[in-house]
Amino acid sequence: MIVNALNGLVYGSLLFVLASGLVLVYGLRRVVNFAHGAFYMLGAYIGYSVAVHAGFIPGIIAAAAALIAVGVALDLVVFRKLADRDPLVTVLVTFGVLLILEDFVRTVWGTGNYAIDPPALLSGVVQIAGAPFPIYRLFIVLASALMAGGMVIWLRYSRSGLWVRAASHSPAVAAMCGVRTNVLGPLVVGLGAAFAGVAGIVAAPFLSLNPSMGAEILVLSFVVSVIGGLGSFGGAFISAMILGQVQAFGIVYLPEMAALLPFLLMALVLVARPQGILGKKV
Amino acid sequence: MTTPLLELKGVNAFYGSAHVLQGVDLTVLPGERVAVVGRNGVGKTTIVNTLLAIAAMRGGSVHMRGEPLPKLAGHTAAAHGIAVVPQGRMILPNLSIEENLKLGAALRRPGEWTLDRVYSLFPILAERRHTPGTALSGGQQQMLAIGRALMGNPDLMILDEPSEGLAPVIVDEMEKLLRDLAETGVAILLIEQHLRLVLDLAERFYVLSKGRVAETGLMKDVDRESLQARIMH
Repeated sequence: MIVNALNGLVYGSLLFVLASGLVLVYGLRRVVNFAHGAFYMLGAYIGYSVAVHAGFIPGIIAAAAALIAVGVALDLVVFRKLADRDPLVTVLVTFGVLLILEDFVRTVWGTGNYAIDPPALLSGVVQIAGAPFPIYRLFIVLASALMAGGMVIWLRYSRSGLWVRAASHSPAVAAMCGVRTNVLGPLVVGLGAAFAGVAGIVAAPFLSLNPSMGAEILVLSFVVSVIGGLGSFGGAFISAMILGQVQAFGIVYLPEMAALLPFLLMALVLVARPQGILGKKV
Repeated sequence: MTTPLLELKGVNAFYGSAHVLQGVDLTVLPGERVAVVGRNGVGKTTIVNTLLAIAAMRGGSVHMRGEPLPKLAGHTAAAHGIAVVPQGRMILPNLSIEENLKLGAALRRPGEWTLDRVYSLFPILAERRHTPGTALSGGQQQMLAIGRALMGNPDLMILDEPSEGLAPVIVDEMEKLLRDLAETGVAILLIEQHLRLVLDLAERFYVLSKGRVAETGLMKDVDRESLQARIMH
């Protein structure tokens, strides 16, 4: 039971890091970014390629750096032009970016599965409630908490974090006060992409790498964002933790329905609270 | 001759294809108190929105201290010392009172207005500094909007319908505050439909009609009835 709950915490932590990037980008750009799953996949592959030659930590740094560059470029070339477009247009364009990046990965790395071992320091197991539990999974929780905590501290206590929160609610008011909102876009999308990329490489020793990994986790990240309330970090956190547990216990107790449970949960939440757990009524 | 602080020369501004401002000329001198009056929908707010790049300027020019501003973006006005107290105040509900004020100081323009000074002017904001700005009453939100503008240490403060929805006693307090502010050298551009504040505060006026300046003059040369007649003309 405790091990199941811990597995749920591990998966929920990963989902939260991934969903918080989505929330960040949606908050500022109002773009539902289907390419976010591709960021996760690209980060995993780039991190993997560097990690096998230079070590795991350089792999994480490489994934973050590469995805910041991808995010900034995407904001400047694509998202900026989507700012006032129909949501359907943004969905189609970002989904197109997802397909392009998936094909890029297939071309460079092929279609096979890759696996990577956790670093030696984080290998092995610890005994929890009499059962062995991989140390690396505890590292995932810690890394996710550090990333999410860092982002919350940045948003809440820094000047640029204040500008992002202001511009997320009203770009016009933020600009009126002198904030260069056109600079915040690349910063936020780059950061959101880096979060996804780091989540990809951190998840790599826990889940395997394949070109469809982005699309798979993207769907669950959207479920997290929708249940939590689009644009709400607090909601995404609660939602990711619940969804992690639903997945972990669902696989054990309702294996034939496990894949459906996140969507059932989303339907229940939306019926009871259409704006999501902490979302604001429109 | 004094160089105008702000000068609009033949400004044409659009919302999409709607041509709202049609060749507007307007000047504000340093430390001057100027009012723009006119009926609803004549383009008064579009003057502010043009400076904030919300309305698109496709013709004419805007000058600050005699220098043309070649390309207007949302942050340009603040960067040149123009602070705006927008219609409806536009207090951000996801920020606390203190954060709303700090946002006003985004550019860290040097000057005498600091958080402490704004708090000493509006003690209620200090008492409730950690609560959301939208939890304040209408009058207090106007204080916050003015405080946010002051945090930018502006040379020119533009107020768009500042008396809207406020009790007369609050409007009187605001008038005194703006008069005191103008005495420190900050120019005021007041965009108002209600004439009481305009008559009490402004030194010069522009009457706007159908997107054009229909008349301009000194406030000492008009009384309430004649100004009202000019607006309705």
